[in-house]
Amino acid sequence: MTGPAVEIERVRKVYTRDSQQIVVLDGIDLVVPEGEFLALMGPSGSGKTTLLNLIAGIDRPSSGRVRVAGTDVTALSESALAKWRSRNVGFIFQFYNLIPVLTAVENVELPLLLTSLSRRQRRERALLALKVVGLADRAKHYPRQLSGGQEQRVAIARAVVTDPSVLVADEPTGDLDARSAEDILALIDTLNTDFKKTIVMVTHDPRAASRAHVERHLDKGVLAREVSRR
Amino acid sequence: MKYLPYILKHLRRNWIRTSSTVLGMAVCIFLFCTLQTVLAAIDYSLQSASAQRLWTRHSVSLVFTLPLSYKARIAAVPGVQRVANSTWFGGIYKDRRNFFANFAIDPEDFLAIYPEIEVPADQRAAFLTDRRGALVGKGLAAKFGWKVGDTIQLESDIPPYRIGRPFDFVIRGIYDIDRAKNAGGDINSLYFHYNYLYEATDQRVQAGTYVLEIDDPDRAGAVGRAVDALFENSDAQTKTETEGAFVAGFVSLAGNLALLLNTIGLAVSFTILLVTANTMSMAVRERRTEIAVLKTLGFPGRLVLGLVLAEALTLGVLGGGLGLLLGWVSLKGLQEAPMLGTVLAFYPNVGLTPLVAVLALGLALVLALAAGFVPAVAAYRGRVTEMLRQV
Repeated sequence: MTGPAVEIERVRKVYTRDSQQIVVLDGIDLVVPEGEFLALMGPSGSGKTTLLNLIAGIDRPSSGRVRVAGTDVTALSESALAKWRSRNVGFIFQFYNLIPVLTAVENVELPLLLTSLSRRQRRERALLALKVVGLADRAKHYPRQLSGGQEQRVAIARAVVTDPSVLVADEPTGDLDARSAEDILALIDTLNTDFKKTIVMVTHDPRAASRAHVERHLDKGVLAREVSRR
Repeated sequence: MKYLPYILKHLRRNWIRTSSTVLGMAVCIFLFCTLQTVLAAIDYSLQSASAQRLWTRHSVSLVFTLPLSYKARIAAVPGVQRVANSTWFGGIYKDRRNFFANFAIDPEDFLAIYPEIEVPADQRAAFLTDRRGALVGKGLAAKFGWKVGDTIQLESDIPPYRIGRPFDFVIRGIYDIDRAKNAGGDINSLYFHYNYLYEATDQRVQAGTYVLEIDDPDRAGAVGRAVDALFENSDAQTKTETEGAFVAGFVSLAGNLALLLNTIGLAVSFTILLVTANTMSMAVRERRTEIAVLKTLGFPGRLVLGLVLAEALTLGVLGGGLGLLLGWVSLKGLQEAPMLGTVLAFYPNVGLTPLVAVLALGLALVLALAAGFVPAVAAYRGRVTEMLRQV
């Protein structure tokens, strides 16, 4: 891949509720270079998650262009977009969103079902991903048997198992205690530094944001100042 | 196939709900199998009816008998070629559980009217000449291990036919019916001479029914009306109808049995459809976030739709399979049940036929698909961002 990992041009997102138009994002321009760790901050309702969803390809802008991992995702059909997501983006949710009836390793294996890998290869890769997040010994555990921090680790393993170039995280520490949050942030940091993943993270937590190389603030749908920590 | 474990795990998630849905589906399929089998059996028995035969009975009920003098008068009606007395004897062989149909007939006329009853010439002659002779169906003979020359006793429960001792019969012939040519042909009955009954009861009994052979099936209505008109002003008025109508009336008794059974089946199926649809909707509603996660991970909408439908189909297969098993076991059990089993023996094809089994499984799958369709489409159409928001 050449060029920036994420390139957003004049993106607007407008919702229509009861004939009223709500502008969530208003002409956003954003470039995230490859290997960057960006923290998106801002008050509730500022449009952070919407922007993250656009980058992850699970939502579409009302206008403008979103280019991620070299692909203009706004030009893709629904099925092409789904295929693209499965290969290029890993999503980390605030509430982990693991499938409760599946074990940790089965949860991690889930995105690999979309590939042509054999059952054995899928299992090997899933176990490897769990090893990366330090949970190889919990492979057979169900989400209910794991702590919040461990669940989030499994969710991270699931996000990286297909080796996407971009990871998006929506308040990944929002549901965790301070210590677990630290561990998760350290893990995300490792994914960025050691595995060269481009990371876009939405957070309210300044401590979490301090891990990022760059901090961008959103307010009322407009990107404000950039804070660089490098 | 790689998604099957995922589907099965979801079904195990709420096993009480899954089990009750499967059971509900199974009951529906079980009912379908049983009702359709009964209907098929009745339909099969109707196939043996000939358009060239009419039946004359008492206009009030089969319970009432007709004077013997009617035979000659009926035979004189234009269009009637032959008439035979056929009277239900209701004889019991040793035990009530051994119930089978047995009729007192006018042998020569009856066998002439029913050419499909095939008896070896020597046995036929022996039967016709022996007043105590009995002609038994191949199926009945096989059931009791009877052979030509055996002596058996039957005792009827019907008061006029009770003479203080059983009736003795000598099996003079074993008849068969080629079911390839005469579908529904009965090979489980016993026929004997009406004269034997008449004399043994001191000539006090009358005829249960008369079976008529007519020369032109197209004139069946006119001939029947002519027969009934003969006895319009008598004490014993008659009702003459085609053999098909007679058999149908006999098996229906309570009206349109087929319509009734089909309506019951339809009502049950519709109820199960609603129950299963509700279950599937609940299952999908509960998993909105999971569906959103699947889509976020890159599962295309069509695959998600397929997974929900596959889940519904799995319920259908499980319910249908269980229902088929229940149906098979119960139909088998019914055939071996006392009394009822013997009654069912009238219908040679009672039992779960491959056609009914395939139809039942098809119904289960259609019900499951119909129930899963709306939730599956909802999952297919659901927008990830909206589904993730509704936690």
